[in-house]
Amino acid sequence: MADVKALLAEFDEISKNPRKMLDSYLAAGEKVIGSFYYTPQPLITALGMIPMGLWGGQVNPQVAGKYAPIFTCSILRSSLEFGMTGAYEGLSAVLMPILCDTFRGTCAAWRAGVNIKLIPFVHPQNRKDPGALDYLIEEYKYVKTELENVAGKTCTDADIHAAIDLHNKKNKVIRDFCAAANHHLDLITAVTRHHVMKALTFMKPEDIIEKLSQLTAALNELPDYEWTGKKVILTGITAEPDDMLAGFTANNIAVVGDDLMQESRLYRTDYPAANSAMESLALQWLNIKGCSMAHDDNSRARGEHLVSMVEENGADAVVLCMMRFCDTEEYDQPYIIKMVQDAGYMAFSIDIDQSTSDSGQALTKIQAFAEN
Amino acid sequence: MKYALGIDIGSTATKAVIMTSEGKIAASAVVSIGTGTAGPKKALMEVLDKAGLDRDQITWTTATGYGRFSLEGADDQKSELSCHAKGVSYLMPGTHTIIDIGGQDIKVMSINDRGGLVNFVMNDKCAAGTGRFLDTMARVLNVEVTDLSDLSEKADEVAEISSTCTVFAESEVISKLSTNIKIENIVAGIHQSVAKRVTSLLKRCGIKETIAMSGGVALNKGLVKALENEAGCKIHVHEECQLAGALGAALYAMENTKKAS
Amino acid sequence: MGETTEVKKKKRPLPKSRVMLNALVDSIYQDAYEAERKGEPVGWSTSIFPQEICTTFGVPVLFPENNAAGVAARHDSGRFIQTSEGELGYSNDICSYARLSIGMAHDIATDPNYEPPAQRMPRPTFLLCATNSCFQLLKWYECLSRDLNIPIFMQDCLFNCFEDAPADHRNKYGKSQILHNIKRMEELFGKKFDWDKFEEIQKISNLNSRLYDECVLMNDKTPSPLNGFDLFNYMAPMVIARGRKETTEVLLQLKREIQEHIDNNTSTFGSTKEEYRVDWEGIACWPNLGYNLKTMKKYGINCVTNGYVGAWSLHYNPGDLEQMASQYMLSSTNVLSTNSMMGKRADVANHFGCDGMLCHINRSCKYMTYHMFVGRQIVEDKCNIPVVTFDGDQADPTIFNEAQFETRVQGLVDIMKQNKEDK
Repeated sequence: MADVKALLAEFDEISKNPRKMLDSYLAAGEKVIGSFYYTPQPLITALGMIPMGLWGGQVNPQVAGKYAPIFTCSILRSSLEFGMTGAYEGLSAVLMPILCDTFRGTCAAWRAGVNIKLIPFVHPQNRKDPGALDYLIEEYKYVKTELENVAGKTCTDADIHAAIDLHNKKNKVIRDFCAAANHHLDLITAVTRHHVMKALTFMKPEDIIEKLSQLTAALNELPDYEWTGKKVILTGITAEPDDMLAGFTANNIAVVGDDLMQESRLYRTDYPAANSAMESLALQWLNIKGCSMAHDDNSRARGEHLVSMVEENGADAVVLCMMRFCDTEEYDQPYIIKMVQDAGYMAFSIDIDQSTSDSGQALTKIQAFAEN
Repeated sequence: MKYALGIDIGSTATKAVIMTSEGKIAASAVVSIGTGTAGPKKALMEVLDKAGLDRDQITWTTATGYGRFSLEGADDQKSELSCHAKGVSYLMPGTHTIIDIGGQDIKVMSINDRGGLVNFVMNDKCAAGTGRFLDTMARVLNVEVTDLSDLSEKADEVAEISSTCTVFAESEVISKLSTNIKIENIVAGIHQSVAKRVTSLLKRCGIKETIAMSGGVALNKGLVKALENEAGCKIHVHEECQLAGALGAALYAMENTKKAS
Repeated sequence: MGETTEVKKKKRPLPKSRVMLNALVDSIYQDAYEAERKGEPVGWSTSIFPQEICTTFGVPVLFPENNAAGVAARHDSGRFIQTSEGELGYSNDICSYARLSIGMAHDIATDPNYEPPAQRMPRPTFLLCATNSCFQLLKWYECLSRDLNIPIFMQDCLFNCFEDAPADHRNKYGKSQILHNIKRMEELFGKKFDWDKFEEIQKISNLNSRLYDECVLMNDKTPSPLNGFDLFNYMAPMVIARGRKETTEVLLQLKREIQEHIDNNTSTFGSTKEEYRVDWEGIACWPNLGYNLKTMKKYGINCVTNGYVGAWSLHYNPGDLEQMASQYMLSSTNVLSTNSMMGKRADVANHFGCDGMLCHINRSCKYMTYHMFVGRQIVEDKCNIPVVTFDGDQADPTIFNEAQFETRVQGLVDIMKQNKEDK
């Protein structure tokens, strides 16, 4: 128990202080690469550098408006603000996948307003096309070259293979944690779960494997806790701030799974065995299922995924954490809500807006769900 | 005799209801200032005064509304969605769809026969169509918000307001005023614009008879009529509609009173 | 993007090119209705898809963006948008063409008695989606595919993060998609693809692109022979019939008419004197086109050029599929980086002798708006002309504000006037 509390406090600390993490990496002479959403992180690891997730933050942007219209999604607007005001200083480069129109725009805005090397690249959306794999392998080769320039060294296929193994192991450790957490929902509340998951985006893969395995092991030693309250699955880009998440706990609701970009979506799909390391990296993108940012010929893939998550985890509802002005998610919103409701479960959306700390409407909805 | 208090602290008004253990309304009060002000305290004093009770004679206090967590001495807090559902069900049994236009939210709720919430939808974070939108428009027209209803009844045609954004709608209203369009017709246009916003939420939630409107804005007959036109259905309004949230909270409080005993 | 409509104007007889254009558009819709009646394949396509393919198959395809513009210009967009936002629950943040089209598709699929717009869209049996104009197109077509239960043929046109032409691996992926789509279409249509005809259609497409470019360029004369908004109308054949001989006829006729104007020193701008030449950036505010035109005329402003009308001008060697794919990755203003796109705009504004630039901050078209936020400095520096923005939308009538538009136009005129006096 003491172990669990102490470990949770560590994750909590990291999730709230990414800048401190970055400074400690820099002080140790490491190079750090900022990473938005889906990026081929094993390449960064293979070159001896550290990937850190970029998720903006709770800030009311003051300078980002110079380059980003007001209807830029909350997360890229705050990321741009942080970039422009020096919060990301020290990053050696930033990997930006062009996954939506706002990324197209942010690519230009970043170059105009932020003095950190940008490495933009494009995933193929026609993932079933026979040419998609070859294309992405070449695209990742360009990313690799750019990263090699930053690192000042090169890496071999074997180096990347080793990094891939490490990241796959990391993914498994994270999935194991999520499974274990569901047996200890008294300890792993919506807020603590989020802190753990968010902290992972700022940690080295080997540190994740070490620390998170410890946490899972410590949890597994405790007797299972019988949760009698309601259970939900969160879906969306991010579920923040803490005030909003605390509303779940206050209303006796536990989070038993997530389909959030900042959390489980990143670790759901492993790098498969392939002819070469680069092919393995590329195949991973082609294998992603049920994500708003990766086109699927099955136009109901995400809805089906959510319904099965609800069923597998014995949840009562799906809560769509709707990132303000994220059009990609907005297009999915009506059908996934309807599909979950048609399957006999509750589904509703709450707004996520990093530019305000007011979660009033979300709290009302969460409470209303709890009361009925 | 035991007493239960329900208090609905909205963004623009505070409403309070005291119920007896026999399920009767002992007193009610409406104060037209909301959370973050002296409103809650004033409403509390007024309702106690009317009922001739002291605060310590209240067995249970349930707070609801946007400012529900700010009231000192509340025994618990319920969401305004559940409270409106319960309150309206009490006032108008047989209701299955509730529309509530609050100061900053539009809510449409679907409820079951027991007053339980089945589904709900709310406006996104945008003032279009909310009580605040009406306040802003009344200010631009230099009339009281309570006069809007009478004004729109005198309209001979509807001067369409196409902008949904409050800032743009304001400028549209001003330009209509400057071209000497009758205020009455502009008000009718404002009501139609709100009615359109609300109807779209209504359709999303699903229209199931009977439909009732709660909250203070329901007192605006002109708006209710515009809404009936847009939605193509009858909308029922109880004379105590403004109290629905507080009443629902009082009903929840009463359940706790009984549990406590 | 990609639309046509009747710009409201005085009851002057239409020029012959417009009569021909209308007949062409009409015949394309008729072909689609005929196929619908016979239960044959009919497609809905994004505006910059390699339409050469379906033209070769002889399968009719219509364009929701183009149709939406027409519906909006006839003030009929509101009801479809309401269906999307209300009943279906789509956010008002997403593209208004998408909201309109998703609402219309819902009506088509669920209500046999729905009242169609003036230009009725037939029910599609397949979708063609190119991702060059934006990513929202793909999400929008996913919704259509789900609601109508029909397949998507995708031409993924990768965003150009850099200023150079697309690298080889991108063009190869583009070519692979063309080939694969043709194969899948052969299966769906039950028809063999005619490669010789394909090359023929490609030749026509290239010819039309050249003719269209020439017509656009002829507007650099002072006064400009065309009222700039006319270009929005003549985009139509390029969008919906780029591979057809009739389009060649329309464009040849248009070219003759423009030449006549130049020879006679006349203009479709009418009797108003062209005081100021302005570059209109962004898609038209279709629901407010008449008001925009009237207001600008009041101040003697002619929009002599527009950045995005050139998006349908694609040049490649017929038969070279990699080059063809490459062109589709370069043509849309929204597939290019801001530096290359706004740099091009600045060159055009210079070439056309523009006194100012008027930018439509289009609520629906996020990336185009980004260009203007980041790129306005580029234009101001390169051309030394004022850049003024206003809020609006391509199809949603609830975003535009007349008072704001006129105030901004006045402001632009004040600066342009002062600049002229200082010269």
